[in-house]
Amino acid sequence: MEKSLAELNKAGSRSTSSLPPEPVDIIRSKTCFRRVRLNVGGLPHEVLWRTLDRLPRTRLGKLRDCNNHETLMEVCDDYNLEENEYFFDRHPGAFTSILNFYRTGKLHMMEEMCALSFSQELDYWGIDEIYLESCCQARYHQKKEQMNEELKREADNLKDREGEEFDNTCCAEKRKKLWDLLEKPSSSVAAKILAIISILFIVLSTIALSLNTLPELQGTDEFGQSTDNPQLAHVEAVCIAWFTMEYLLRFLSSPNKWKFFKGPLNVIDLLAILPYYITIFLTESNKSVLQFQNVRRVVQIFRIMRILRILKLARHSTGLQSLGFTLRRSYNELGLLILFLAMGIMIFSSLVFFAEKDEEDTKFKSIPASFWWATITMTTVGYGDIYPKTLLGKIVGGLCCIAGVLVIALPIPIIVNNFSEFYKEQKRQEKALKRREALERAKRNGSIVSMNLKEAFARSAELMDVVIEKSERPHDNHLSPSRWKWTPKRAASETSSNHSFNAHELGSPSKACATSPQRLNVQKLEEMYNQMAKTQSQPNLNSKDRASRVIKHRDEIELGAIQDRGPPVLGTREGVGDMKSLSSIDSYISCATDFQENTRFPHSPAMDLSLQESKRLSHCPVTALSQHGSAKTGQQTTRELEPMLTPMSVTKPSCSENARKFFFSGNSSKSLIPKVGCRSDGDSGRSPLSDSSVLSDHSLLSPEVSIYTTASSRTPPKSPESTTLAPSVFTFHDSSINKYIDADTDDDEHLRDISDASPSDRLLAGSSPKHSININYQRGANHLEAAQKMLGQNCLFPLEGIRGLAHENHISHEMTHRPKVERGRQNTLDKGL
Amino acid sequence: MLNRYPESRLAELANCSTDNDEVISSLCDDFDPNRKEFYFDRDPDAFKCIIDVYYFDEVHIKNGICPICFIKEMEFWKIDQCVLDECCKSYLSEKEEELTEISNKVKVILEDLEVERCITRSQRCQRFLWRLMEKPESSLPARVIAIASFLSILISAVVMCVGTIPEVQVTDAEGKLVEHPTLEAIETACMMWFTTEYLLRLASSPNKLHFALSLMNVIDFMAIIPFYVVLSLTYLGTTSMMELANVQQAVQALRIMRIARIFKLARHSSGLQTLTYALKRSLKELGLLLMYMSVGIFVFSALAYTMEQSHPETLFRSIPQSFWWAIITMTTVGYGDIYPKTTLGKCNAAVSFLCGVIAIALPIHPIINNFVVFYNKQKVLETTAKHQVELMELKSGRDMRRKSRN
Repeated sequence: MEKSLAELNKAGSRSTSSLPPEPVDIIRSKTCFRRVRLNVGGLPHEVLWRTLDRLPRTRLGKLRDCNNHETLMEVCDDYNLEENEYFFDRHPGAFTSILNFYRTGKLHMMEEMCALSFSQELDYWGIDEIYLESCCQARYHQKKEQMNEELKREADNLKDREGEEFDNTCCAEKRKKLWDLLEKPSSSVAAKILAIISILFIVLSTIALSLNTLPELQGTDEFGQSTDNPQLAHVEAVCIAWFTMEYLLRFLSSPNKWKFFKGPLNVIDLLAILPYYITIFLTESNKSVLQFQNVRRVVQIFRIMRILRILKLARHSTGLQSLGFTLRRSYNELGLLILFLAMGIMIFSSLVFFAEKDEEDTKFKSIPASFWWATITMTTVGYGDIYPKTLLGKIVGGLCCIAGVLVIALPIPIIVNNFSEFYKEQKRQEKALKRREALERAKRNGSIVSMNLKEAFARSAELMDVVIEKSERPHDNHLSPSRWKWTPKRAASETSSNHSFNAHELGSPSKACATSPQRLNVQKLEEMYNQMAKTQSQPNLNSKDRASRVIKHRDEIELGAIQDRGPPVLGTREGVGDMKSLSSIDSYISCATDFQENTRFPHSPAMDLSLQESKRLSHCPVTALSQHGSAKTGQQTTRELEPMLTPMSVTKPSCSENARKFFFSGNSSKSLIPKVGCRSDGDSGRSPLSDSSVLSDHSLLSPEVSIYTTASSRTPPKSPESTTLAPSVFTFHDSSINKYIDADTDDDEHLRDISDASPSDRLLAGSSPKHSININYQRGANHLEAAQKMLGQNCLFPLEGIRGLAHENHISHEMTHRPKVERGRQNTLDKGL
Repeated sequence: MLNRYPESRLAELANCSTDNDEVISSLCDDFDPNRKEFYFDRDPDAFKCIIDVYYFDEVHIKNGICPICFIKEMEFWKIDQCVLDECCKSYLSEKEEELTEISNKVKVILEDLEVERCITRSQRCQRFLWRLMEKPESSLPARVIAIASFLSILISAVVMCVGTIPEVQVTDAEGKLVEHPTLEAIETACMMWFTTEYLLRLASSPNKLHFALSLMNVIDFMAIIPFYVVLSLTYLGTTSMMELANVQQAVQALRIMRIARIFKLARHSSGLQTLTYALKRSLKELGLLLMYMSVGIFVFSALAYTMEQSHPETLFRSIPQSFWWAIITMTTVGYGDIYPKTTLGKCNAAVSFLCGVIAIALPIHPIINNFVVFYNKQKVLETTAKHQVELMELKSGRDMRRKSRN
């Protein structure tokens, strides 16, 4: 951690304080050294420039061709010309083998390396996996295919689970409850009891079926033929009634009728019920004696089909299900087994036929007749009804035994392997599901949240010094106000023209300072929590859950805020709590850039205007000033609205959050109604722009989309943020996080990965909260310095990122206004793109 | 120290460390005379292992380094391969074996690919025929032919079995049971198909001798030849050049040979080929299995015979006769035609059963292992070879591009 921080410091110092080196310097350093030091993930490698030239189109080859700062920063994460060192923040283990590829022209793979991460590394270094040497390729592709299969299966599972979404057509809630009751025995006690009763009925009906065939219990009908025992018939009827009811209820409550009908388990259920009804139908409809014999035969067949109900047990047993799955998956091997057996039977039966056919009174009358013998011998059952008698026949028999043992034993391990793999997987999934449920429950109760906060607090204490130090450097004079992240932002936007107004609004400056560390902590924790939750947020988590969790969390924060602060700052407290809670919700729910921007600066017109049309930005300062004054009143109104808002948000889950956000922003800028209108205009007008916001809208409705939303939209806001302090070193990390989350759908595992895993991961975990702090400092400071300009900058860059080339002229215009921070930012902006 | 292996690169470097710059730069990649530093642009991990040779006279491959890659490094440092320790050598040979297998596979695929290279027309025709007969996946007609031959094998096998059922057979003029005429016709048709197939294959094969000696084609030949021998024999019998009884006996004997056609299925099933390969690979274990079994049979049949002597109505009349009992008991088949009656004999039977289970289970495990390994490898090889071919195409494409650029 120390090391990474040191590096971070170095990087930060270079690109923010000192100017980037001239192209001439870079070229000079490249020409005067024959070798180059590549620092990959902390592990230095020394290599000749010549070696890197061998593959000019890869990342390292490009490094050779880069002659100015921007392109260089695009290729590597950091560099130091004096020491001739280039830093890449990647896994060092994989890099050794990749560097060897440059040296020897042969790409080999480290044995202990995970194939997936290796392929990612290859992607990063710009090397095609096809170059992998054949000795390692087998392993690589095998693993990759395996992983892909697993991922696909996981995705299918997810889809299944999502497929259970109930549309609100008719009494959806009741149906969902019924469905849970019938399909998920682990969901409640009642469901468990229901499952046990169902099992008992299955067992009972099977017992009744077998008892029915006992001659002592059978009665005789008028034709002198045996019929069912009347008591057992009653039992049978009751069981069938239960099964029918169960099936119908399931069918009615199922979210997707056709899918339900097709499901293998449900087909079995249907097959278990139908024979009974068909039997009744046939016997009732054909009373005439003429057809009676035929009907009886059909009825007998259907009676046999009743045995199928024993398969209903599969619903209640994972083992049976995995057996079925294994057989389905290894039908290739099963075919092989049958082929082997068939060939063996054919050969040995014909051999024994030719050996035995001249014997007196032999039972091997023909080859098909001796099939039976061969089967019984090869499977080593050996009834003894047919056995060879001649010497030749006995020799053939002995060979047949041994061959049978061999042939049966050979393909079975493969099937067994399949089975055990699947069984293990099934077990793992069950456990993971349980763990996930437990985690969710805990989160809902709030126990995990507080733990996370505590953890984050500990981490923040570590990071605090560094962060403060860093933020001090560029914005020395604004240190103390910049500490109150959300508050000053508002205050700043309100009072950007008048600094003292800020103090007036929040109470005396000294008071504010006294409370600031406390508030900072709380806010930081909250922010960290947001950040962490963002990184942890698994795609399959419904946004409903998220929203509810946020609400819980918000309540807690508010409570904490009340406890923390003394009565003297009561006036401030409410406002802060309100803003904080709102912002937490906002940043939580809307991972999308636009939302974040919109709601974080709810009454900053510069922002909104810049969102709409960049042309209008020329009017920005004027409107901004006029609206800042009114924003103050807006805040006061919010404070009044606060108690009203809270219950509303609690009662109304996911979707209302979104609406409320707008509602709030509307309120806060009561006098800014035209502005709000403008924004909505902008929303409708900038269709390519609002993509991510629209997506996040969707994300509230369908969790599937939210996967992509979180991944795609999280990158833009981060890239400008990380620019300001730790340029470019973490930009890549962010996208890797996203990728990582995308790939990993299992929440727990992800958590664990973050906590233990590789050092780079730890770095990630550490860096993300850091980011957030940095952002907020930066923002706060920006506001104090020059609110409108910075606001414009802050929101414009991601916007530009999305818009692309359309408004380039506008950017150049803007650049003249703020030459200072620009270069570093733009740089990473490119990168972020 | 470095001079312990005078052939090696480091030793040469040590010897020529006089200020001859050219030699030095030919030996190492970069040289810093101020710091007295030699720079080699090689894998540091592998070097750590290779430097061991100067200390311990042997090299061990570090876990995780690909042995093929390591050998390349050793060549660079000019260290002989024989200093590699035995423990790592086996690993290396394993890998090399795998590589050769892959390259063989690739060669086969490449051979398939380069079709129209043949010069003369007859050669091209031959090649086309060869692909039609031998490579079912190459084209649609080839697949149809493969399916047809598979079906004909099945039909002929079924016909052979059905022909022995007494109800289906008809009596000929001499009151003897002979096969049904329709069945015989089907049989003849199948044989014709097999013959043409074999001849076409033989005609189109690039290497006739190699073709004739390969296992699959020997089986094919064995499946065809009895039919023609029987035909000629009956012809000879009817023309009374040979005694009729002898002819019929010979015909009977040759009928058994028909079973061989079932093995023809192996051509169409990779699983069966795997089985034969696994059995071939584990001949030693099979011998072990047979040895265990025979020892067990001898011991327990002798024991059973002596123990059952006391019983008056014993079923064990001689030791060779009780062999049969021993086999049936040890393989846990247990027909029940011979069984012990005295208490001691029963105890002996129980022990022999247990020993039989163990004797079979022990050697079977390596055989199964061979089978599984080979089965999995087959699958992997397929994908690897495909990727290899892709890589080759890529490389050749780049070469072409480079040439055109030049």
